[in-house]
Amino acid sequence: MPSDPPFRHAIEVADLRKVYTTTRGTFRRTKVENVALAGIDLAIAPGELFGLLGPNGAGKTTTVKVLTTLLLPTSGTARVLGHDVVSATGDVRRRIGFVFGGERGLYWRLSGYDNLRYFADLYRIPPQVSKRRIGELLEVLGLAGREHDKVEGYSRGMKQRLHLARGLLNDPDVLFLDEPTIGLDPVGARDLRVLIRGLADHGKTIFLTTHYMFEADAICDRVAVIKKGRIVAEGTPSSIKQLVGDIGVVEFEVDTISQEDIERLQGLDTVSSVVVTERELALVVTIHCAQPAEVMTQLGRLLDGIAFRRVSAREATLEDAYVELIGEAS
Amino acid sequence: MRSLIRAAWRSFEMSTRLRVVSPWAYLNWLVFPVIFAAIGLFVLTSSGYARVAYGVLGGGVIGFWSVTYLDGGNSIQEERWNGTLEQIFAVPTPLVVIVIGKILGSLLLGLLAFIPTVGLAYFGFHAVLPALDPLRFAVSLGVLSFSFFIIAVALTPLFAISRSAFTVLNGLELGVYGLCGFMFPVSQLPQWLQPISYALSPTWATRALYASATPSASGDIAGWWLASIGLSALYLVVSVALYRFVEVRARVSGELALA
Repeated sequence: MPSDPPFRHAIEVADLRKVYTTTRGTFRRTKVENVALAGIDLAIAPGELFGLLGPNGAGKTTTVKVLTTLLLPTSGTARVLGHDVVSATGDVRRRIGFVFGGERGLYWRLSGYDNLRYFADLYRIPPQVSKRRIGELLEVLGLAGREHDKVEGYSRGMKQRLHLARGLLNDPDVLFLDEPTIGLDPVGARDLRVLIRGLADHGKTIFLTTHYMFEADAICDRVAVIKKGRIVAEGTPSSIKQLVGDIGVVEFEVDTISQEDIERLQGLDTVSSVVVTERELALVVTIHCAQPAEVMTQLGRLLDGIAFRRVSAREATLEDAYVELIGEAS
Repeated sequence: MRSLIRAAWRSFEMSTRLRVVSPWAYLNWLVFPVIFAAIGLFVLTSSGYARVAYGVLGGGVIGFWSVTYLDGGNSIQEERWNGTLEQIFAVPTPLVVIVIGKILGSLLLGLLAFIPTVGLAYFGFHAVLPALDPLRFAVSLGVLSFSFFIIAVALTPLFAISRSAFTVLNGLELGVYGLCGFMFPVSQLPQWLQPISYALSPTWATRALYASATPSASGDIAGWWLASIGLSALYLVVSVALYRFVEVRARVSGELALA
């Protein structure tokens, strides 16, 4: 097996750009360029659990696909374990695993065991090694006993664990997880997060994309926030929260609130954003502001006649910081 | 090397198993060939013994070709729908090895097309081939299989580079029926079209196959075998460049996934 070139970072990305060219129109076709990555830089240490956060279409999946050799970058460089993802694809592919979220990506009409054995052979793992490793993975991921059932009969959580088993078949040094908990029930998602954190604790470098902020906050060593193909913030979850350190959050629940009321809140000097979300039978209004106590005292005056169910003030979470960053970057 | 052979074998096994459990696969090797064979037999059994080989074997050859060529492409399209195309693309095993396994599976399934069509000819039309030379027939069938295999291996990766490539490549399947003389001799085609036929390896193998089953046939069967094998070898050389092109193109366009 060829040895790795010297490297300091398990993943190293410099000025990475990816532009997709498509056409528009039926008879008069014009070329349209969509910039998916507008020049990003990343450096991820061996054994680190790194989270890339961003809204849909921000460039998370494109980044993963470039790093897993599925896409060629338009310009810039990307190295995994010192190997260039463009010129040394074979070396990269041997050393990485990747898991894309969702139910697809498996052969549903075959058993979980058949799926794993097929990919073990495609990863060119010797049969005696693959047999042992498949057994271990089935055990660790809680699929033992169901491995000979067809995948179509698996629950979503089981399918996602089978995905993870497939991604770990070649005992990769770097594992890419693209929204691995998407669509899972809370217990299944929590179990998967524990597993992912455990893998990082055992020395694997993990590159995780998600738009669940609490997930990134709970398990990632470091995160970066990507918006429209650009990294807008990078650091530990705590340091990202400190970026909006002077921001507090006031939250209250109401049955209904008018657009005029929201605009009145947004008009306050200390308020940077107001977000309204539906939760069960109530509307939750989240106000990001510099002086939460002052805003709370003004609520009654500004929203005269509105019946508040619950009012609270709290420190900013990673999700609050994310909302601020994404808002600023737009 | 052993790991590559094992990967090709597993690809063959997986592809065959997926075909066996798919009801659609039976259309290509069972239903469509029988329809073609029935039409051919209706027309050709009344036109004299010299053409009976086309009736008896034509439907089978069409089925054989369809399954070998189209199932390979279909399987790539199915991988895309399954979301597994990206995964098999990004493994250390070269794509050509996986495709070889898949096409071998299709080839085996495609050969089954001869069973219902020959059965229909015998039981439905009492059409037999008493002058069939078993050795020449077997070699011709081997050469035909080789030519189908090489074309399918060479063209299957094109299904990977674009979600719409499937439509274009589907058209090729039908063109080959006529151009390669599966149901009637190439000499029946317009003069200007015949050079295209002669540039296609199955034309020579099919000609040899039918000649080895027809008593009055004359010609240099061995020469036809060599012509078919030579053209197949040429396709193989071109396919090396094609695989390199597909690898780059698929990574530029990002069309391995559905969206």
